[in-house]
Amino acid sequence: MNKIKIFICYLIVLTFAKFSFAEVAPGFNSWDDVLGKAKGGEVNVYMWGGSDAINGFVDDFYGVPLKNDYGITLNRVPLKGTVDAVNQVLSEKEAGVTGDGGNIDLIWINGENFWTLKQANLLYGPFAAGLPNSEFVAWDNPAVNLDFGRPVDGMESPWSSAQFHFMYDSARSNYDDMPRSYAELSDWISANPGRFTYIRPGKGGFVGTRFVKQIFFELSGGQAQWVGPFNQGLYDQWAPKVWELLNSWEKDLWRGGETYPKDNAEMHSLFANGEVDLDFTQSPRGAGPTNTAGTTPPTSRAFAFYENMIGDFNYWAIPYNAPNKAAALVYANLVLEPELQAAQVQPANGFCCGWGISTAKVTDAAGQAAIADAQNNLGDAAEDQNILAKALVSDIAAEYQDLIEADWEANVLLK
Amino acid sequence: MGGDKTKIILSITPPLLIIILLFYGGIFYGLVQSLGYQPAIGKYEINLDAYYNILFSERYAKLFWTGLALNLWVSFVSTFLAAVLALFAALAIRKTFFGKTVCNFIYSLNLPMPHLVVAVGIIFVFSQSGLLARMLAQLNIIASPGDFPVLVKDKYGVGIILAYIWKESAFFFIILMSVLQSLGENFEELAQSLGANRWQRFRYVILPLVMPSLFSASIIVFAFSFGAYEVPALLGVIYPQMLPVMAFEFFLNPDLNARSEGMALSIIIALIVMILVIFYFWLTQTRIRKD
Repeated sequence: MNKIKIFICYLIVLTFAKFSFAEVAPGFNSWDDVLGKAKGGEVNVYMWGGSDAINGFVDDFYGVPLKNDYGITLNRVPLKGTVDAVNQVLSEKEAGVTGDGGNIDLIWINGENFWTLKQANLLYGPFAAGLPNSEFVAWDNPAVNLDFGRPVDGMESPWSSAQFHFMYDSARSNYDDMPRSYAELSDWISANPGRFTYIRPGKGGFVGTRFVKQIFFELSGGQAQWVGPFNQGLYDQWAPKVWELLNSWEKDLWRGGETYPKDNAEMHSLFANGEVDLDFTQSPRGAGPTNTAGTTPPTSRAFAFYENMIGDFNYWAIPYNAPNKAAALVYANLVLEPELQAAQVQPANGFCCGWGISTAKVTDAAGQAAIADAQNNLGDAAEDQNILAKALVSDIAAEYQDLIEADWEANVLLK
Repeated sequence: MGGDKTKIILSITPPLLIIILLFYGGIFYGLVQSLGYQPAIGKYEINLDAYYNILFSERYAKLFWTGLALNLWVSFVSTFLAAVLALFAALAIRKTFFGKTVCNFIYSLNLPMPHLVVAVGIIFVFSQSGLLARMLAQLNIIASPGDFPVLVKDKYGVGIILAYIWKESAFFFIILMSVLQSLGENFEELAQSLGANRWQRFRYVILPLVMPSLFSASIIVFAFSFGAYEVPALLGVIYPQMLPVMAFEFFLNPDLNARSEGMALSIIIALIVMILVIFYFWLTQTRIRKD
């Protein structure tokens, strides 16, 4: 009898505790609490600043409503690379800067930079599920809840998405002649010697790693078996065949495969200079953003393979010592507003990336109309969105990434 | 006397503080990290794993040794050629009035130019899609720009060497001109009156006189080109890769465990330069005394 009493007491206490300490994010009891504390403050947003279009988008579409609706001043700090912000947080940690004594409120982040900060316990959170607009996020999708195969655990909240596919120059080649699989690409390469290369898989060249990763999917008969925890046996079974294929291309690659471009910028300049005929893009708008920026010829267009095109999301993370965590939460929530999401896909606004939310989860009429309008305006520099959607696969466990980069170096570059 | 001493101590303290804090502090911090001590990710053990990995592991050894060979090749060749070019240019024009002014001006213009700008210039001019390749293709000397020889981003570091020669020969030239000017012509006239021909005057009079400054300038240029990052980063290939570029890539690796390797590599670069400089000093000291 006594035991039951204790158990009931325990249950009551537990329920009560859950109600009284329910937090939307560590340190905040309710969303109103967040809004109240954020008001009148400043939010320091650290993000890669290499695109005027993206910078302008953030200033106009986020800076203005933050000021008018929430009383928050946006202070956007442009970076040469996200790793600079990572190194700054790391240095602050080493210098013992804690509490809210840091400089950075938000970092535009994904992949390995996120992993670095998470691994070193340098992030604030979990906060993502507590944002009111997280209802629009497809948290059950592995492409969202895993970042480069590593669990997000609510320590970052999505902003937009990207998907690997290709570009060609319609002044030089025809859409109908484009390869639609790695098998067809092999034939294309031998028919067009010297006209293709790919970004070296390695640090700063993750798009190249992705290009190689997709070969594993195609040769092994599909991406499904690669989902889940790292599987050394599966990798060992297919890796030699991938290196064999890449080595068979070598003599017909740009510069005979003696060297490879090491990042997107080098790849774009080879393509724009007419040294190679194919290029990579990560934007759902295909060649649109680079055409506008002038890094690819204005006649460039996009195409995708019919299968195995890896897509992923990018996010906002808050450092452990962010000076204004409330304002950071407001910002992370704001960028998920359906109408602002539609604005970032709308080509006229110049942003390069795709949806951070699942458009199917939006139910109000204004949001749905804005989404439909953006979808209809993607333009002829983009690949057919149905082809992209059908080919979409998620990225896989991060261990593969390091392994592919190291083994590519040993088996293709140095062999 | 006492006042003088305080004055000296007061005036050398700020620069010494900067050198000790920033320079030796940085090196010490790098050294500690290279030994695997990284409290940020909970690594407190001291070991030589990073050095072993760089020098001997299957993963990095080949990259390191080929990189070292390329480093030595690029630094030696560019230092030597830049010095020789500058020496001949200086000797050829030092007695002309007009030529001297023009050359001095051109070379001085070259001096404040950042290495980065020179490297980009080399890409514009010498790459396969560059100015020269397009011009030659237009003139039908080569069939297409792609037939232009690979001079930039080539595995022998030709582009890097070109950039360093372009930059450093100006440095040599200006140092040589000031030495030659301060020497005057008395030595040569004396040698000439004693029957020395042009070659003998160059070999036994001028060369020994300019050698000390040429050597010390060479040390500066060599050490610089051995440890500099931006030119090989822009003009190099991904394999073989010069060591400073390799070190920086380790540093940028988001996996914090790779930072030890990056620091170890940087310490190795610093050690190699130090050893070479000491060796060079010893060599020049004994050689110059003999002459």
